[in-house]
Amino acid sequence: MVTPIQVTVQELNLPLLVPMLIAIAGGLGILVIDLLKSNLDKSLYVMLSMIVLFADMLAVAGLTPNRGFFDLMLVDGVSIVSQMLIIVASMLFIPLALTSKRFHEFSYPEFFALFLFMVAGFQFMVSTDNLILIFVGIETASLALYTLIAMHNRSNSFEAALKYFTMGALAAGFYAMGSAVVYAVTGSIELWQVKEALSISSGADSTIIAVTGGAVLLLVAFAFKLSLFPFHTWAPDVYEGASAPLAGYMSIVPKVAAFAVALRIFNIYIDLGVESVRIIILVLAVVTMTLANIMALVQEDVKRMLAYSSISHAGFVMAALALGTTKGNAGVFIYYALFMFTNLGAFTMLWISRHKKLMYSGRYDHPYEKFAGLIKIMPIGAVVMALFMLSLAGVPPFSVFWGKLFIMSAAVDAGYIKLAIIMGLNSGIAAYYYLKLIVYMFLKEPVFNVDTIYYNISKPLMVIIGIAVVATVTSVFFFDVLLTYIYTMISASGF
Amino acid sequence: MIGLNHYLIVAGLLFAIGLIGVIRRRNLLMLFFATEIMLNAANVAFAAISHYYNDLSGQMFAFFIIAIAASEVAIGLGLLILIYKKQGTLDLDDLASMKG
Repeated sequence: MVTPIQVTVQELNLPLLVPMLIAIAGGLGILVIDLLKSNLDKSLYVMLSMIVLFADMLAVAGLTPNRGFFDLMLVDGVSIVSQMLIIVASMLFIPLALTSKRFHEFSYPEFFALFLFMVAGFQFMVSTDNLILIFVGIETASLALYTLIAMHNRSNSFEAALKYFTMGALAAGFYAMGSAVVYAVTGSIELWQVKEALSISSGADSTIIAVTGGAVLLLVAFAFKLSLFPFHTWAPDVYEGASAPLAGYMSIVPKVAAFAVALRIFNIYIDLGVESVRIIILVLAVVTMTLANIMALVQEDVKRMLAYSSISHAGFVMAALALGTTKGNAGVFIYYALFMFTNLGAFTMLWISRHKKLMYSGRYDHPYEKFAGLIKIMPIGAVVMALFMLSLAGVPPFSVFWGKLFIMSAAVDAGYIKLAIIMGLNSGIAAYYYLKLIVYMFLKEPVFNVDTIYYNISKPLMVIIGIAVVATVTSVFFFDVLLTYIYTMISASGF
Repeated sequence: MIGLNHYLIVAGLLFAIGLIGVIRRRNLLMLFFATEIMLNAANVAFAAISHYYNDLSGQMFAFFIIAIAASEVAIGLGLLILIYKKQGTLDLDDLASMKG
């Protein structure tokens, strides 16, 4: 029999909801403004979104770890750190709409409204340990993201959105079934209760099979979202079809959110010593980084190469998650915090070199030949692009190097020497295809007779690239601060 | 007597049918139907388990899945209409232009 429950406003703990509410209210506000007066310039909406994101960031910064809203919301260190990463990446993304050429999607205010709804979805996803709310968050964010991709209005982007949609729908099916199995085994859909139930019931063979089965279903769902082998095949196509900034965004924000949730779910299994889950994750991670690196070697398009490179980076980070140590878990977020600036910077460099027509190749926007001899055409552009490539390859003292070093040392500390060696070898392979672009830019003669390839450049884009360059180059100075902050946050929330 | 296991077996079979459909179907509309079958498999499982434990959260989950499946269909059909207008076909083999 269900008895009515008495709830006071204090127990609801509404301040935990404020960051998401700000994003949602901002999105609705943009829609209302469009209703009142249509055909306003996109720069207004860009600025409004920036203000909303800034308010959102302040609200997140003011959060104290707590539970609330019938225990649905769980704001802990993991949640705050990943919300911060999500918002910072979004703030770097939104000004990229202010290009000098006009692109279809940014002329619609709906683009910005959907974008803010998506951010709210990601924030919900990372600040709960209830499987329902995680699901709702994933789908809110993903459904908005499919639409954002399709709004680029090219047949390639429709195909990309469709591929992403199909894979997302499949992942949703796996996620729902996986949670059903978890619910069947433990009788609860709250992760902390799941953990308690599992630690009591573990032992019987039939339970272990069911527990592993549920974990595998959930792992498949997150492998789709994190583009892990063998569920990575959509990623390069989607990145190719989406606009360059959105591709860069997709390689960071959905993955940070999915990693935060994966951390909550799979940490239970790893903590309880279900070795099979840990081994599956490790194998997936190793195969993902190696295979994606090999595929990246043979790409003809820089954007597809970067897509495979982000798959390989995701594999790298997934291995850290399998370690089950606080250092490994903190490594996930530290890596993405550093990788974020470099990768968004690299994709922004592609975005400013974007021409509305396919000028350089029958199929690709950014073939390697386009960048041939760039040092003679646009010296500064070539140097900046080379900087991002070196950072992605893990050359010290640029940002990604510190992330790689941290995760490798976490692997060694946890006793996985072989894993650390494989990671090192993979960074070596990866250096080859990043250097390939540098060779094209610095050592080859220009293939096409053009005086610029940066058709799309504008002041806001240059500012974003400037921020990315500064963050990439000076990471050696703020790495310690970042490390201390993230490490305390993660360890305080018990991971 | 029909017990929990029967429902779970039905759910498992439905899930497998949906998965095979996603892998085998070449028509996008049919492929979307297959993903809906997968979600509904989870619904059956949730409703049955919820009754078994006498706990409402599973049925709540099922309702949320229904709502999400509906919104997924809305987006998916929107995309399909776009694609059909542009390409005049919904067959996967004809549509795929990006490979490698």
